[in-house]
Amino acid sequence: MAGSGTAHLRPAEDVLLRVEDLVVEFPQGRGRVVHAVSGISFDIAAGETLGLVGESGCGKSTTGRAVLQLPPPTSGSVTLDGEDLTGVGSGTMRERRTKLQMIFQDPISSLNPRRTIGEVVAEPLGVWGPKKKDAQWETVARVLDDVGIDPGVARYKRPHEFSGGQCQRISIARALVMEPELIICDEPVSALDVSIQAQILNLLEDLKKEHGLTLVFIAHDLAVVKNISDRVAVMYLGKMCEISEADELYANPAHPYTEVLLESSPIPDPGIDVEDVDVLEGDLPSPLAPPSGCRFRTRCTRATDVCTTDEPQMRRISEEHYVACHHPLIEPAETVVSVGVGE
Amino acid sequence: MDTKLANPRIGGQETDEPLLTVDDLRTHFAVGGGTVKAVDGVSFALHRGRTLGVVGESGSGKTVLSRSIMGLNIAANASSSGSVRYDGEEMIGKTTKQMRLLWGAEMAMVFQDPMTSLNPVVKVGRQLTEHVRYHLDISKGEAKNVAVALLKSVRIPEAERRLDAFPHQMSGGMRQRVCIAMALACGPRLLFADEPTTALDVTVQHQILNLLAEQQRDRAMAMVLVTHDLGVVAGRTDDIVVMYAGRVVESAPTDVLFSELRHPYTQGLLWSIPRTTQPKHTRLNAITGRPPDLINPPPGCKFAPRCPYAQDKCREEVPELRSSGTPGHSFACHYPVGSPENEAAFQANLDAGVPAALSAAGRAAAKEEVGV
Repeated sequence: MAGSGTAHLRPAEDVLLRVEDLVVEFPQGRGRVVHAVSGISFDIAAGETLGLVGESGCGKSTTGRAVLQLPPPTSGSVTLDGEDLTGVGSGTMRERRTKLQMIFQDPISSLNPRRTIGEVVAEPLGVWGPKKKDAQWETVARVLDDVGIDPGVARYKRPHEFSGGQCQRISIARALVMEPELIICDEPVSALDVSIQAQILNLLEDLKKEHGLTLVFIAHDLAVVKNISDRVAVMYLGKMCEISEADELYANPAHPYTEVLLESSPIPDPGIDVEDVDVLEGDLPSPLAPPSGCRFRTRCTRATDVCTTDEPQMRRISEEHYVACHHPLIEPAETVVSVGVGE
Repeated sequence: MDTKLANPRIGGQETDEPLLTVDDLRTHFAVGGGTVKAVDGVSFALHRGRTLGVVGESGSGKTVLSRSIMGLNIAANASSSGSVRYDGEEMIGKTTKQMRLLWGAEMAMVFQDPMTSLNPVVKVGRQLTEHVRYHLDISKGEAKNVAVALLKSVRIPEAERRLDAFPHQMSGGMRQRVCIAMALACGPRLLFADEPTTALDVTVQHQILNLLAEQQRDRAMAMVLVTHDLGVVAGRTDDIVVMYAGRVVESAPTDVLFSELRHPYTQGLLWSIPRTTQPKHTRLNAITGRPPDLINPPPGCKFAPRCPYAQDKCREEVPELRSSGTPGHSFACHYPVGSPENEAAFQANLDAGVPAALSAAGRAAAKEEVGV
């Protein structure tokens, strides 16, 4: 799964954010290197939601953070509005980050417990916004109201007085207060109950419409990702396996890994024999020494010799569906044309 | 099954009597502001070899319920009343010393977080057999063999080498396998799995749930699977109990619950789950609000403030569990789903613009207000 290649990228002028050949490595000393992200490319058009899915350790959070230059990627480019963020200085980057915001997984620990909600949400304004407290509060109150928190009640309360779902709403308000163009949501609903998760997903959809937001939505739950995303990218061990328009990906998964992920996700229907589906055996290989060729080959049922030697490149299946696999479940368009089998 | 793993105390006689009978169990915690009624009158029965799913949100009392049955709520401010009969013997009122003979040997628990439920400074091999040596009185050498057999039974590769590993050297899925092996070590007849896969990825979740099901079949254990996700219990339990604010609101055989659910809370939980079969951007019919304060719960039905069908009667009178007519299916609701009264109540609430009703109808939900 290796998924290198840039065949799936759209023309640069049509997109808000373009990430090309992103590589993030963390040196571990004694020459060892964690290959967290190894050559990922994707792009997002304005107003679009891109879902990033994969297991823990696949590099999806690292990808999200690298977009914000937290930390800056080892190599590759991140282009926002035509400007490459990897080249800009730290001062300029501080300014650019006002357009890029992030929402984290654990809503309670991502809010400072010693500050009031009014202070937490107003903090970005203290740096970039109006200096007058009254003017700041006006904006803060409006944003809190947008996320369904009563500003009057919440202003002088502290995070421990709120439930997990409410804290996540406050985190969203804090991200919105700078009126960003792009919000990176890193597993924003994984720590919440299903009932609260549904509320937050609905809220994000509403806010996206009202504020014209573009979202990167990182999660490991495929159903959640499908619910909110326009396009979905599947990652495995630092590589991208498949990227597609959301409905198409779930209806016709082309990568063996996507198929396994789909079959593993629990379905609330007792009529389905859950023990009968294929399960992915074994654990994720170490990112210190990822497998050669396709990184998924060690757990793939379709793997052959070519998967050991050659890294698969992104190939086009249909207009909005690309896969990086030597033996995909659906043959890519080019191959079908050249063979010309019409059944 | 390896005979070494069997518990000599287990007679193994087959009877029709349930293995576990819980009757009107109440667990209350005295706190500064009053009494938290975490479990408030729960009753159910569990037969040998069967699996019971306990479903509810955070704060519904599902974890306290399983801990109460095992006698693990040993804090000074906790008190349990009612009856828990395990194999004909009353558990409530037993001292910790008495319970210690049962923990691990008769009933065991797998906890939610495999990262914190193992001791980080003790090697896996010793943790695995600590209680085996306590219960079965075997030597260190024998214990090692038992540990290897256990790790193999939960399909951990290179079992011998893993005995000397520390927990941090293993992945989350691997650690949960160790926890399961540990729980199974003395051949318990009742296993509690408290959100065993919530901290794990979907692929690993599937592996672990399959492993639990397989071990349960091989050992003819009864299992209580506690979770907040109806998707997890759907194909893996015989019966389901849905809890809300410390009480059972609906209980039924699994297939009956999914096809004939009557309680609005069960319906809300099921509707909240996004599904891969829905088109993208499907608006979820979320349950509005959040679980009630357990110190001062609302009078009447505790779900009423969030219920799309709630009427005045619900806010005044606590509904009792009653049978639906289908064997084994009971629910506690004045306006059950699927009845004409329910439809009338829904229409009335829609007309009145009740936020919970609008949300259930899939319309833009009114904003949740913070009522701290």
